[in-house]
Amino acid sequence: MTTDLERNHRLVGKAVVAKLGMDAHWRGVIVVAHALRDAGMEVVYLGHATPEQLVAAVVQEDPALVGLSSLSGNHLEECRAVVEGLQAAGVAGVPIVVGGTIPPSDKPALVEMGISAVFGVGSPLRTIVARVGDLLAD
Amino acid sequence: MGDEHTTAAGIPLPPVAGPSDVAPGLSERLGRPGEYPFTRGIHPGMYRTRPWTIRQLAGFATAADTNQRYRMLLDRGATGINGVFDYPSLRAVGSDDPRAASDVGRGGVAVDVTDDFDDLFAGIPLERTSVSLVSSQPVGAAPHLAMFLRAAEGRGFDRACLAGTSQNDFLMETAITIAPEALPPAASFRVECDLAEFCIREVPRWNPISVTGYNYREAGADAPLELALTLAHGRAAARDLIGRGLAPEVALPRISFFLDAHSDFFEEIAKFRAARRMWARFVRDDLGVSDEKAQRFRFHVQTSGVTMTARLPHLNIARSAIQALSAVLGGTQSLHVDGYDEALSIPTEHAALIALHTQHVILWETGVAGSADPLGGSWLVENLTDAMEEQAGALVVRIEQLGGLVAATEEAWVHTELSKRAFADQQALEDGRRLVVGINAGLDDGEGDVEVAPFELPPGALEAQRARIDAVRARRSEAAVGAALGELAAACAEPGVNVMPAVVGAVAADATLGEIGTVLRDSLGRWHFPLW
Repeated sequence: MTTDLERNHRLVGKAVVAKLGMDAHWRGVIVVAHALRDAGMEVVYLGHATPEQLVAAVVQEDPALVGLSSLSGNHLEECRAVVEGLQAAGVAGVPIVVGGTIPPSDKPALVEMGISAVFGVGSPLRTIVARVGDLLAD
Repeated sequence: MGDEHTTAAGIPLPPVAGPSDVAPGLSERLGRPGEYPFTRGIHPGMYRTRPWTIRQLAGFATAADTNQRYRMLLDRGATGINGVFDYPSLRAVGSDDPRAASDVGRGGVAVDVTDDFDDLFAGIPLERTSVSLVSSQPVGAAPHLAMFLRAAEGRGFDRACLAGTSQNDFLMETAITIAPEALPPAASFRVECDLAEFCIREVPRWNPISVTGYNYREAGADAPLELALTLAHGRAAARDLIGRGLAPEVALPRISFFLDAHSDFFEEIAKFRAARRMWARFVRDDLGVSDEKAQRFRFHVQTSGVTMTARLPHLNIARSAIQALSAVLGGTQSLHVDGYDEALSIPTEHAALIALHTQHVILWETGVAGSADPLGGSWLVENLTDAMEEQAGALVVRIEQLGGLVAATEEAWVHTELSKRAFADQQALEDGRRLVVGINAGLDDGEGDVEVAPFELPPGALEAQRARIDAVRARRSEAAVGAALGELAAACAEPGVNVMPAVVGAVAADATLGEIGTVLRDSLGRWHFPLW
């Protein structure tokens, strides 16, 4: 069966996807990872990764997208560590997106530190996939 | 909504239910409240004689910060404590572990040493306040309980008098909440049952396992799978504890349960009623235990976190109230109502108070607590209760065919069933088969953009925990700690030995939570989640 996502969006490239810190919720990240895969991406799901592990995986996998997930409230610190780690490793131009329980009031800080898109609770998959498509096209 | 007219789990709904929708033999399936098979409730008088416990979840930052929230809730009419821990503490990872830094005190209280439990329960009358420790993962539940007991006994309480609950659920460690370095399923289940056996022998009023169907549901299960996993887990624990030589009449009444109140109102009520009947039948017919106290399915309920919306957040008050009502109509023993802001952050004090008083509205204003099982005999509710029993029963049989719940977890059956349903559920939202106000319905331009201020974490938890760990290390005997942790490793290595006395010994020597967790992981193994 062709899903709505597959009809409307074809994504190409690889996504490295990870959970931040010690946050325990996997439902959202796995659902979004399925959606990215259904839309055509190759998904490398790391599970939990420290910023160092994530940077090493990004260097090795050379992805088109980094997807992060957190529902524990640790997103500001963890995203900053990831962004700075990638910069220090010389990784440039790979969009980083984050999803989870993220208050809208934290969005400006995340964007300012270099996160390309923030998907809060209730973000439709089609919105996420479409936004990722835009980021990949940029 | 579509044209199918089914419940959320796909059970057909009649346009109007009548006598022909209920199979013959209803009176045998119902019984009376307080009597086998307990469909109508576990107490004869239900809420007239024993109102449900108002047990609002709380936990953030340091133990001192959380103690203030506990006291506020008790002062304002809560009747029990429901304490949640941060993720490092749940997994027995120290606050001083670099991986823990960004999560210390977030989503729950940080605990590392017994002193934290001293602060957490300071001034709380433990002789008359039951304490639910949401120590979801056995690796953390065992040291948490040992620290709680040491703190309580230090205040002069006899452990035989302490009432409360350890959540202590191996599925939480191995399938429901993802963790780096989780114990393998069989090892986690062993620690769970070790804790339970220890409590049944030494802390007789403690509920040492709370099978957390709630979280199975939140991770992706529908109502029948939530119920099936819950019952399958209860079966595994019951058989293990009886296999350790504990009398079923003593062990079974200590197993408790925790279910979700989701949005499909009548399906949820049917689930609660079917749960009691299915458990009673298992205990009587499969285990051959006729003692009625051993047959009673006692449960706590929480309203559904995943149904909360980030937009139109105040609508979550209505959503939670309706869900909570289903739990009361379904005969719960204990209840937590979610805060309206929980799609954004853990609850602010205002959201926590609104949630607390939502329970008072149901208890004091609506009159629904006056008669036991008020929907019993409703053709629709009886029809759905029977259907729920049938669907969940088939899944329980499937799990048993796989070799039981531990084997089904090792083989990733549990993970696959949950993630499959989670994705299908999201697809139903995407294509509008399921409507949720604030997600895919009821959003005119800008209407959802009412901002609520998220919870602001009190600063300093990480520094406070690190300082406290340093202070404890400075006062203790390293030789005694080393010996106690060595005994714990030896107990772990010996199948059939209960690890709990060694955990208690390690805590008595001032070993930290992280140190105990490291020994458990080094001795029992680390497991990779088969999620992807």
